[in-house]
Amino acid sequence: MNEESDVNDADPDELTEGAPGLSLAVATDLQDSLLIASNDLERLHTLLADACDTLMQRFTDASQHIGQLMARPADESTTASFQQLTRDLGGAVTALQFQDMAAQLIHHTNHRLRSCADSLAREMFGADEDGAAVVEPPPQRPNPVTQAEMDAGSVELF
Amino acid sequence: MHSILAVDDSASMRQMVAFTLKSAGYNVVEAVDGQDAWEKANGSAGRNFDLVLTDQNMPRMDGISLTKKLRDNPKFKATPILILTTESSDQMKQAGRNAGATGWLVKPFDPAKLLEVIQKVIR
Repeated sequence: MNEESDVNDADPDELTEGAPGLSLAVATDLQDSLLIASNDLERLHTLLADACDTLMQRFTDASQHIGQLMARPADESTTASFQQLTRDLGGAVTALQFQDMAAQLIHHTNHRLRSCADSLAREMFGADEDGAAVVEPPPQRPNPVTQAEMDAGSVELF
Repeated sequence: MHSILAVDDSASMRQMVAFTLKSAGYNVVEAVDGQDAWEKANGSAGRNFDLVLTDQNMPRMDGISLTKKLRDNPKFKATPILILTTESSDQMKQAGRNAGATGWLVKPFDPAKLLEVIQKVIR
C-alpha cells in the first residue's frame, strides 16, 4: 500500500489540519482538557479565598476575645496562657499566607494553560472569522513564588 | 497613633496585615494596588503616613514603581517603605533598593518579626 492510499483510507477525524502529527480529534480533546483544568484552577482559587476569608474572620474574633479577657485581672499563669494563645494566633497568620502564595501559583499556571490552549487552537483551526486569532501570550516572567515551605521569609533592611 | 498604608492586591493578605498591625495599635489604611496607594497618599485628600508597607506584584502599579513615585515626592522622602513580597531574588531586591525602599521582606511574614521591623524603622 502506497502513501497516497494511506491518506485516502484514513478516518476524516484523524486527518491532521494544523500541527503535523496531531489529529484534529486529539487536538480538540487536548484543548478541552486544558480549558477544563484552567476552569478547575479558577474554582480552586475561589474556594481557597473563601476559606481564607472565613478563617481570618475567626482569628480576628478570637484575637478580640483574648484582648477582652486579658484586660481583666488575672493571675500570672492565666496571663501567660493568653500570651501563648496570641503567639499561636500569630503562627496561624503566618501559615494562612499559603493562600496568597497558592493564588499566585494558580494564576501563573492558569495563564500558562490558557496560552497553551490558545496556541493549540490557532495551530489547528487557524484564525477566527474576522482573521484575528486571540492568543494569550505565555507569562513573560518565571513564577514569582519560589518558596516550597511555609517558614517565615527573610527580612533585609537596606 | 502611627498611621500605616498597607498595599496588597490580595484581600486575604490585606486582612492579615491589617489584623497584625491593628492588634499592635497602629492605624491602618488599606490600598488594593500601587495606583490606589498613590492616590490615597498623593491625591487631593492625600494624607501623611508614618510607614508604607507594600506588596511588589500588583496590577496597575507594582511596589517598586510605587516606591519610586513616593520618593519623587518631597512629602515621602523620609517615609519608611517596606516591600513585603513572595519575590526573593537578589535582582528584585536590588531593584527595590535602587527605587528607595527601606527594606525587603519575603512572605510569609511572621507577625512578631514584622512588628519588630516596623518599630525599628518607623519615626
